[in-house]
Amino acid sequence: MCLAVPGKILEIKETGELTRSGKVSFGGIVKEINLAYTPEANIGDYVIVHVGFAISTLNEDEAKQTLKYLREITEIEMELRGENEIF
Amino acid sequence: MAGAKTLDNLFKVDPPAAAKKVREMMYNIFFVEDHALHFYFLGGPDFVVGPTAPKGERNILGVLGKVGLEIGKEVIGLRKQMRDLMVSVMGKAIHPVFGLPGGISKPIKKDEQQKFIDAANHAVEFGEFTLKIFNDIVLKNEQYVETILSDAYTHKTYYMGLVDENNQLNFYDGKLRIVNPDGEEFAKFTGSEYVEHLSEHVEPWSYIKFLFLKNVGWNGFEDGKDSGVYAVAPLARLNVSDGMPTPKAHAAYEQYFETLGGKPVHQTLATHWARVIEMVYAAERFLELATDEETFSPDVRTIPTETPEKGVGVIEAPRGTLFHHYETDENGIITAANLLVATQNNAARIAMSVDKSARALIKDGKIDDGILNLVEMAFRAYDPCHGCATHSLPGQMPLAVRIYDSAHKLLRELKQN
Repeated sequence: MCLAVPGKILEIKETGELTRSGKVSFGGIVKEINLAYTPEANIGDYVIVHVGFAISTLNEDEAKQTLKYLREITEIEMELRGENEIF
Repeated sequence: MAGAKTLDNLFKVDPPAAAKKVREMMYNIFFVEDHALHFYFLGGPDFVVGPTAPKGERNILGVLGKVGLEIGKEVIGLRKQMRDLMVSVMGKAIHPVFGLPGGISKPIKKDEQQKFIDAANHAVEFGEFTLKIFNDIVLKNEQYVETILSDAYTHKTYYMGLVDENNQLNFYDGKLRIVNPDGEEFAKFTGSEYVEHLSEHVEPWSYIKFLFLKNVGWNGFEDGKDSGVYAVAPLARLNVSDGMPTPKAHAAYEQYFETLGGKPVHQTLATHWARVIEMVYAAERFLELATDEETFSPDVRTIPTETPEKGVGVIEAPRGTLFHHYETDENGIITAANLLVATQNNAARIAMSVDKSARALIKDGKIDDGILNLVEMAFRAYDPCHGCATHSLPGQMPLAVRIYDSAHKLLRELKQN
């Protein structure tokens, strides 16, 4: 199942068409991701990553919307557990 | 797609033929590009480059070194073409927004048909080419074939997958068929009946819920007819199918079973071959639907009129059977939801595969990077969701091996990174 959590590109290494890679942050967890499939992606863009490959770019509104949904899910979960602080 | 099918079932509505055809066509387009990604980028390093090749070469660059840089560009080009078609019809390639209860949000215009036919022909050519690469590089290499057939990667379990009315493979719709370890039909049922056939087992050492066959029972992580462990995904789908519904894929299916000694195939690593055959099928099915005039009919929606209550939808995802189950109040507000995702079906067999390959391959305390990769290959074949970042550049699966003596004292620990 692809959860499609958006990640923000922090750095890009232009090492060639097929090896283009970058550092992508998923809410603070930074992973090295292959960007060959998303030649249009730039620093600051949001991407969806599957098995280490960025497979799609997202516009900022779309990414923020998804992150908002994820946050809401966490909030509901906390409520159900009777906790009120997320972090 | 599973969600859209669940909504049809929830609202008791049957979409028009054109809507079903568009959904199935888009779904097969997705399969072509997803299977291509797995074969070339994830599985390819193990077989095209070689299971014990130096670590530095076991990645997509190593694959390209063998098959040529142009092929890499071709994979990326094909993928882009497929994804562009998905975005044009479904709104988004990931989490598409075109599925509605009773159909889809918009038809595909007739004047776009040629674009789909051209893309489908390209996909069929690419599928055949990939099959040729598999034949030339993998099957003609005795050492690789020996690895595929070795006992270290073999488990005799049950298999499950969707089949059409002729008991042949379909990714989008049909009935679920289960065969036993001898290849005989054990059960056949609709998605809505899943609770009568499947159940979940939990272990304290994992977050995953291990699915098993309820009517056999959970008897531990064991092979055989008395164990409810079963598998899904390409290996299983070919095992439960009486042939493939398209000609080129069927020819490849016949060669596959003939080479591997008949049905069912229990060798986990044959999954890579089965995946390439499925890619050919997906491309051919895409072409069938693209050349079907009805796919481009404007009649793509049946408006629901019934009060929703409970719905179940099932599809074959690239990694195996996926179930969605929603329950709602009379206003359609969801009160309960249950998802059984592909890797859950395979989870018990994955754990067994890692255990068996580690026992078979690690001898006299000798462990090196090549052996770790051979163990990792056992679960990579399944394309598990938790295999994220496997073979990515330059990340590796955070696999750790701990060696204990007979008194369970830790002797040594090795990690991939």
